Amino acid sequence: MDFDLSSYGLTDEELFAPVDHSGLESEKITAPRYSYWQSVFRVFFKNKLNIVILVVLAILVAFAYLYPMLTEYDRFGNLMNAEAKHLSPSAAMGQLGYNIHWVLGTGGSGQSTFDAIWNGAQISISLALCCAAINMTVGVLVGAVWGFSKRVDAVMMEVYNIIGNVPYILFISVMVMLFTASFWTMVLALTITGWLGIAYFIRTQVVIIRDREYNLASKCLGTSTVKIAMKNILPFMTSVIVTMLATEIPSYISYEVFLSYIGMGLSEMSLGRLIFEAESAMVTPGWGFEFWSPVAVASVITVVLYVVGQNLGDASDPRTHM
Amino acid sequence: MGKYLLRRLLHGAVSIVVVVGIVMVMIYSLLDRDQVFAADPMYSKVGGNQKTVYCYGRWEEYGYLDFVPYADYLAELAKNGEIDGETQGAAAAIGRTADKDSELVAGYVQKFTEHYESQGYTVIRLNAKLNGRKLANGGQQQLFAYKDHSLLKRMWRYFSGLLTFDNIHAVANVEGERGLTFTWYDPVYGGEKLSPAIIGNGTRHKYLLYLDDKFPFIHQNFVTLSLGTSYSVTRGIDVFDTMSRSQGSYVLSTVTFPTGLTEQSADDLHTAVYQPGSRVGNIVNEARFTDDYTNVQIIKGRPSKVGYSFTIGIIAVGLAYLLGVPLGIMMARKKDKLFDKLGTVYIVFIIAVPSLAYIFLFKAVGGRLGLPTTFDMESSSKLMFLLPIISLALPSVANLMKWLRRYMIDQMNADYVKFARSGGLSEGEIFSKHVLKNAAIPIVHGIPAGVLSALTGAIITERVYVVPGAGNLLTEAINKYDNGVIVGVTLFYAVLSVVSIILGDILMATVDPRISFSTKDR
Repeated sequence: MDFDLSSYGLTDEELFAPVDHSGLESEKITAPRYSYWQSVFRVFFKNKLNIVILVVLAILVAFAYLYPMLTEYDRFGNLMNAEAKHLSPSAAMGQLGYNIHWVLGTGGSGQSTFDAIWNGAQISISLALCCAAINMTVGVLVGAVWGFSKRVDAVMMEVYNIIGNVPYILFISVMVMLFTASFWTMVLALTITGWLGIAYFIRTQVVIIRDREYNLASKCLGTSTVKIAMKNILPFMTSVIVTMLATEIPSYISYEVFLSYIGMGLSEMSLGRLIFEAESAMVTPGWGFEFWSPVAVASVITVVLYVVGQNLGDASDPRTHM
Repeated sequence: MGKYLLRRLLHGAVSIVVVVGIVMVMIYSLLDRDQVFAADPMYSKVGGNQKTVYCYGRWEEYGYLDFVPYADYLAELAKNGEIDGETQGAAAAIGRTADKDSELVAGYVQKFTEHYESQGYTVIRLNAKLNGRKLANGGQQQLFAYKDHSLLKRMWRYFSGLLTFDNIHAVANVEGERGLTFTWYDPVYGGEKLSPAIIGNGTRHKYLLYLDDKFPFIHQNFVTLSLGTSYSVTRGIDVFDTMSRSQGSYVLSTVTFPTGLTEQSADDLHTAVYQPGSRVGNIVNEARFTDDYTNVQIIKGRPSKVGYSFTIGIIAVGLAYLLGVPLGIMMARKKDKLFDKLGTVYIVFIIAVPSLAYIFLFKAVGGRLGLPTTFDMESSSKLMFLLPIISLALPSVANLMKWLRRYMIDQMNADYVKFARSGGLSEGEIFSKHVLKNAAIPIVHGIPAGVLSALTGAIITERVYVVPGAGNLLTEAINKYDNGVIVGVTLFYAVLSVVSIILGDILMATVDPRISFSTKDR
């Protein structure tokens, strides 16, 4: 565009007039700034309950990860002390001195229940986080492909029907017997088929959204499948994925407890194993602390994680950002 | 619909076969087979070469491989008339080492080796283990051949052995004429009471069809289901029998045996199975029976494993629907009110807290209230069923509440509800006649699965309350390396799960006429 301005025969002042800057005017045309994640956290923190729960979660995590690091835990330190076994908190304090170790009494070999719980919680939480990370990543990726491709769908449905019918305990026991019952074996056992359920869930969600009109329109305008997946569908799925993560993480802790209870769990002293070994203490009067404390801590951890995840899931739904 | 169902059933059958295949690969190929001796007292007793032979013998029993000792091969030859007894005896005496064999023995060993190696077997010869000049403990020389079963052969054998059809040529050397006889008057009841029965001679079971006072009243033995033989859980008994046989103490009644002998006995004569030569030298059997159908089961007073699991499971499922459905409806109607919030707290509690934890909590609370917390088979108290039922029902109640609330709230935003409301229908009418009917469709889909899974039992609940049910069978079998039971139970679970999904679809299509599975109706 080449205008010959001199042909109009006007001066520069007449051709160009300065526009005066009005603060009010500029305010009107600016769109409200919207950042997705900022809005998520704004909605999340608006609910005061969430702050309380986050604080509880922070305390739990700090105890699980920092407390074992800062203190020395020797499970068999009091083994030879016959007086120190199965003590209630008050008896333990009187017997072994006033110390944070004894606030929950002692266990079957004179060990501190309080120390055992936090060591166990560390293992259980780490296990749950590892499994959730692996399963969610694999599950979401496979589920997305599964939902998009009809050919993959036909194959994967059969795989799902078959693997779903193999008893889960069998997979785990085979893994445990093939390798040793170590942390990473358990991660492998819980993830080897665990992603399949998540992938199936994601697949169903993708199938529902895939054929919506706006995606059809997008496709007609020539948008590539990858772009549709990334820009049209993934944002839709964020709240679903976060909500799912909220149920997944506690479920691994529960599952680990269950496996330990039926004798197929970790060889390390996780929360599940603590509960399993203290089962006889439940019915013995005066020994209740060593059984109920790990049960209570496991329950609190799972409930807190679940509630935080659910509320974060609610907050990550853009419809709540109004 | 028929064609569609047939296709679904076929698909299901194929996936069941593949599941069994995967499980077989896992337990027979992946697991260390030495583990079967972990709790075997015999294993530590035998030593030397005998230990090796013992291992192979056990592995054959557990279904790992085919094992042929040299002596069995010679016995087979003798049976076919290829060699006489004298040669068999002479040929069996193999030397301490191969070069010490006599000429005759060397010839037969050569034949044995060639015969089995050509079939893919591995022939192993263990030289005698000496302790000085004497044989060490279990150190006799051994010669045998073995071959691992291939997966396909193992699966073929398993599936072809699932159903056994009894016929009049099932057993050898039976006394009297082979055949089936029909009688209106069952001899077990003294031959006077009208009770039709079919009695076989030459068949494996004596009574092929009979009536008695136990569910399902008419019993047959023409077709026997065998899911796999157990080795360590209940030695020598089929998985199906382990699950379905009555338990507890014997129930004595006056039994008239075929010889006319009348005794107080717990024997169930209807279950008589042929056992050759069982009367020779056995005074008891001789006094009781006139033929070799002497192997009878014993009547016990308490339900079977599946019986206990199903009783508890089915009541729990019923209770769950009875409580969960009205509570879910209430939550949806009182959305965001106090009732909804309390319900949500309960749902979060059940979902988030490990199931083990709340079952223990129920047990502790129940114990405080004076309810029996452990199961006692001999006790006639019905109260002991209460805690297991509650522990099973309460989580399902939470699950039902969660989903019914979700589905109802989704339906409440639908256009047809707004239309009904603008048409002047009352809220009660909208809920009961429109919303509930639509929201119940996905709930209905889960009913068959709920009922059928009651058959398999619940692992934790049964363990915590010491219920003698079927729930722990799989874990027990895994812990005891009982391969037969693992495969059998897996097959049972897989069939139940496939059937319950298909039944759920049928039920859903019956409830909702809009759902149709055949393409023609669309």
